[in-house]
Parts: sequence; structure tokens; C-alpha cells
Amino acid sequence: MTDRDQAPDDNVIPLRRHRRRPAPDFDEASIDALRDALEDLRNQIRSRLPEADRVSAGEPGIDWFGLFDELRSRISTLGMRERSVEIDEFGADAELLIRTRPLLDWMSGSYWRIEVQDVDRVPATGPVLFVANRSGLLPYDGLMLAHIVERMIPGLGRPRHMLADGLITLPFAQPFLARMGGIRACRENADRTLRTGRSLIAFPEGAKGATKTFRERYRLKRFGRGGVVRAAMDNHVQLVPVGIVGAEEAHPILFKSHTAARMLGLPFIPITPTFPVLGPLGLLPLPTKWVVVFGDPIELCEPSDADDEELIISRSTAALRDRIQELVDQGLDCRQSVWD
Amino acid sequence: MSAPTCVAITGLDTYWGTHLAERLLERERAPRIIGFDLHRPLRLAGRVDFHRFDLTDPIADAELAHLLSSEGVEALIHLAFRTSPTVDVEEDHELETIGSLHVMNASASAKIRRLVVASSTMLYGPRAVNPNFLSESHPLSGHPDAHCVKNRVEVERLVSEWALRHRDTEVTVLRSCWAMGPGHADYVSRYFERDVVPTILGHDPLLQLIHADDLLDVYEEALIGSHPGVFNIVGRGVLPLSTLLALAGRRRLPLPASVLYRASSQPSQGQTGDRPAAFFDYLRHLWVADGERGWQEFGEPVYSTRETWMSFVGSRKLQAYR
Repeated sequence: MTDRDQAPDDNVIPLRRHRRRPAPDFDEASIDALRDALEDLRNQIRSRLPEADRVSAGEPGIDWFGLFDELRSRISTLGMRERSVEIDEFGADAELLIRTRPLLDWMSGSYWRIEVQDVDRVPATGPVLFVANRSGLLPYDGLMLAHIVERMIPGLGRPRHMLADGLITLPFAQPFLARMGGIRACRENADRTLRTGRSLIAFPEGAKGATKTFRERYRLKRFGRGGVVRAAMDNHVQLVPVGIVGAEEAHPILFKSHTAARMLGLPFIPITPTFPVLGPLGLLPLPTKWVVVFGDPIELCEPSDADDEELIISRSTAALRDRIQELVDQGLDCRQSVWD
Repeated sequence: MSAPTCVAITGLDTYWGTHLAERLLERERAPRIIGFDLHRPLRLAGRVDFHRFDLTDPIADAELAHLLSSEGVEALIHLAFRTSPTVDVEEDHELETIGSLHVMNASASAKIRRLVVASSTMLYGPRAVNPNFLSESHPLSGHPDAHCVKNRVEVERLVSEWALRHRDTEVTVLRSCWAMGPGHADYVSRYFERDVVPTILGHDPLLQLIHADDLLDVYEEALIGSHPGVFNIVGRGVLPLSTLLALAGRRRLPLPASVLYRASSQPSQGQTGDRPAAFFDYLRHLWVADGERGWQEFGEPVYSTRETWMSFVGSRKLQAYR
């Protein structure tokens, strides 16, 4: 015979036993007192309200017609609040840029603590074609560089930054990037921007730069087909090399996944320390320390012979790439670590 | 060549044909107008020489050549195009491509001295990788699924070949963007007239518009003055689709592209009417044209894109109150 078979003993206390709370033991008098206190409180609140509100608060119903009118006017202007009335010919939204300026200030000043070097090398006037190394998946480097130029070289105005096709064709991102002053990287757009006297930021590495893995960081890729040099020559603008350090680690791509990407129809899925693990939150960049180094404007020699033009352009492009690599290395030396 | 004393309009019973004829008649020294169409435009009765004419007729070119030379026509504007796409692909090809071919052959035979052909910037094709402003020299990619656009690309190719062979004729090709105006209605304006406008999720392309009055000014000037060449005829400025709809107080219904395309391939269910699925690609990607050459040649348009849109919206609001 085991203990189980025995009838429950009153002496044995079950391990878990729900102890029932005693029911609230209110008598009629205390409930009445509570009700009186509530009414008193309500009267006190009402007496403190201004006259107009007291009337409506005292009325049992709500002013449905007023509410409806309010709602209708809200809906009809819905979307107009966050939309500026005029946008420029490339779709940049001046009002949005002004509104996001404090955020960009905070990002450049506090989040990435951007250290700007040799900004006095940049010519103070005239359209300038900035050429920088592209890094990081999302175009934070273009945004930040445009912001820095706007803030530190007031004579130039805000330059537009050029975006690779992979970004500018991305649904959802495209309208936003265009409103923030990004344009598709192509000769027609570059010529038009420079012709109208506006400065421009180009990333000749293009998508190759944005998608390099962490192992290849700060090693510049091939520089397109010389379109940057050609655009500067044809439009007679100065070419300013810029090295950007830090954006690379904001989105370090550990490796690229091609198998899963093929199923989703994407070129590849970047695997960063945060991205697929933290979901959309992983798209936020890491708060690395940034250094932006401006170089001296590069003098371009006009080709005397049309046949030599291609060679001169490719030689200038290679020299430009070397110059930016030097600036990047200089920026890397200034940093103690990735974080400061 | 001085101002022509006798002009011909094909497609007289379209919005553009009728209004252009009225404008020409209001001129100080109005040219004689010969009009061709399937139907007689009633509002022009007695003021133009109308010929009932079917351009899709196999021997239309010979007949047209005879009429043009017997009337002594000096300049011809070809406006006989559909205002809305049709599901009848064959018929579309007959009118747009073959009809234009007939007009060109007849013009050559009748020794017309000036030929103006209406075209569209839609022919550049909506592509994600288009530059922000398409110049006249940009290749005409059209759209692989839109027959109306494909036919017009073919027409432009024929016109440019024809122009090379007939160098003593001034050929003007006017590529206009979407035209809007108080009295003008086509499948584009009907799309924008809906209370809830379906758009493509995640895309917000820049669009440009030209006011119908400005376009008519250009047609008139191209026919009367001498402006050989290809021109983009567009209004100043661009606006994103979302801003257009917000300005009009219309609600936007962003749908995934695949849903929208499927719905519009079944017109009765999608209620997208006569718009082919390809139409929505024009609301997805960029196809803005550079109007600089046209503005220099024909003068600045009176209405910007924004003013065109407000005038369109205002006129439709008035119609709704009526």
C-alpha cells in the first residue's frame, strides 16, 4: 500500500493550494461615502475649467458636427503637412531638408562624431564635383557629406549626391532618397546639375563600393569608366577628392548570402552583425567614429589630341583613385579605433 | 516658307483637331482648313471643308493624295490618333501605323511643304534607370506591353525615315507629355478623376504635365511657322504623383505592383477601364522629358505643371458641382 491510495488526510497540506482572498467586506455606508467623494472631486475639476469648456463638459453629448468638420479638414490636408509645396526639378524637397537638418546635425555631431579635416582646401565658389569613396550599404555617406558641405562651406550650397542604380530603383527607398537630394548616377544628370551651377557628389566606385565586405574595407574598387573625370572636363568644374572613413563600419557586411537572395529576387542579402538578427532594427547604422578628409582640387589637363583623350582620362581617373586612397589612409591614421 | 494659305488636319473630330481648327479660324488671316475624319465635327459645320475619310482603307493614300493636291494643301498636321488605348490590337495598328504611313505617302505625292506629326514623351518609355530629363536624342524604348505606345514608336521611326527621303518638306515632330485641360478628357484624366486613385506601393515618380491650351498653341505655331525638327513639348516643373493627388484632395490607394497589374488586366474586375496594365508603369518609373528645346523654339508655356494640374482639378470640381 502506498500513500497515494490512502484517503486524503486533513493533516497533509497540499503543496499548491490557492488561497482564496477574502471578499471585500464593504458595507453600504462606505460605498455611499466613496460616491460622495467622487462627486466632490468632479465638481472641483469642473469649477477649475474655463467657462467655455465648462459648458461643453457639462453637456452630455459631443459636438458631432464640429468634430466631423474638423476631421474632414484634417483629412483633406492629410499628407500636405509633411509635404512641401514646391520641389525642385530632381525631386529634392527643400522643406524636408530644412526640417531634417537638426537630425542630420545630431547624426554628424553626436552619433558619428564626424571629424572634418582640411575643409579650407575646397574652393569657396563655383560648382565643385566632389569625388569620394563609397562605403556602407545605405547612402549615409552621401547624405553626411552633402550636409557637411552645406554647413561648412556656405558659398557652395547643398550639393546633390549621386546614387547607384541599385539604390535608386529600390521601391520605398527611391522616393525618400530623391526628396533628400539624391539623384541617379548618370552623365545626363551630372551635366544638368553642374550646368545649373550646383555642386555634386560622385562615388565612382558605385555599387561595387557599397557592397564590399568587411574584409575589403578601405580598399578602393575600380573607378567606373572615367565618367567623373569626363564630366568635370566637359563642364569645366573643379574636382575635389574626399576620403570618408567610418561609414564602412556603420554597416559592416560580414558576408553576402546569395542563395536566399535568389529566392527573393535580390542581387544578394548582406549579413551584418545586426541585420538579419535584429530584423529591421539591424538596418540602423552603428555609431562608429567618422573622419572626412578633403583633398586639394585636382587640375585636369585638357587633351590636345582627340585620340589621346581616352588615355588621359583613364590616367587621371587612376590618379584620382590613388589620391582618394591616400586621403582614406590619412583618415584611418587619425582614428584610435573604430569607435573613437 | 511663308504662312500657308491652306492647311489640312487629319483627325479633325478629336479634341485637338477641333480646337486647333477653331484657333486657326480665329487668326487674322485664317488659312483655309481641310479636315479629314470619320465623323463630321458639328461645332465646325460650315467653317471647314470636311471630308469623311477612313485612313485604314487600303487605298486611302491615293485618295488622300488626290484630295490634298486638288485642294492645294500646303501644310498638314497629323492628329488622327486614338485618345485612349484599345484592346483591339490589330485595329490599333491599322489606324496608328498604317494610317500614318498613308498620310506620309499622300503628303509625298501631293508635295506637301510642311508636315507636323503629334507624338508623345510616353514613347521614351518608363524605366527606373532613365536620366531625370530625357532629351530629344534619347532612344525611344516605348513599352513592351503597350501596343498604343509601340505603334507610335513605329510611327516616329517611319516619320524620321520619310523626312530623310523628302528633304524639301519641313517635318516637325511634337512629343508632348500628358496634356490636361478643362475641356480635355482622355484615359489619363479619367484615371485622375477617381475619388480613390490606385497607385503603386513604394513608388512615387515625378510627373510633368502640359496644359491643353499650351499644346494647342504649339500645334498652331508649328503649322503656321517654320519649325522643323523633333521637340519635347512639356510644361515647366515636375511634381511627384503623391503631391498631385494631395493637391487635388484625392485619396491614394497604394497597391503592390503585382496586384495592380493583375487587376488592370481584367478591366471589368479591376475597374481600371481602358487602361492597360502597362499604364501603371508610367506611374512607377521616371519618364520626364527635357523641354528646353521646345521652349526655345515655341516660347515658354503659359502654365507650369503645377498650374496645369490646379486648372484641371478646379475645372473638374466645377463640373461636379454643376
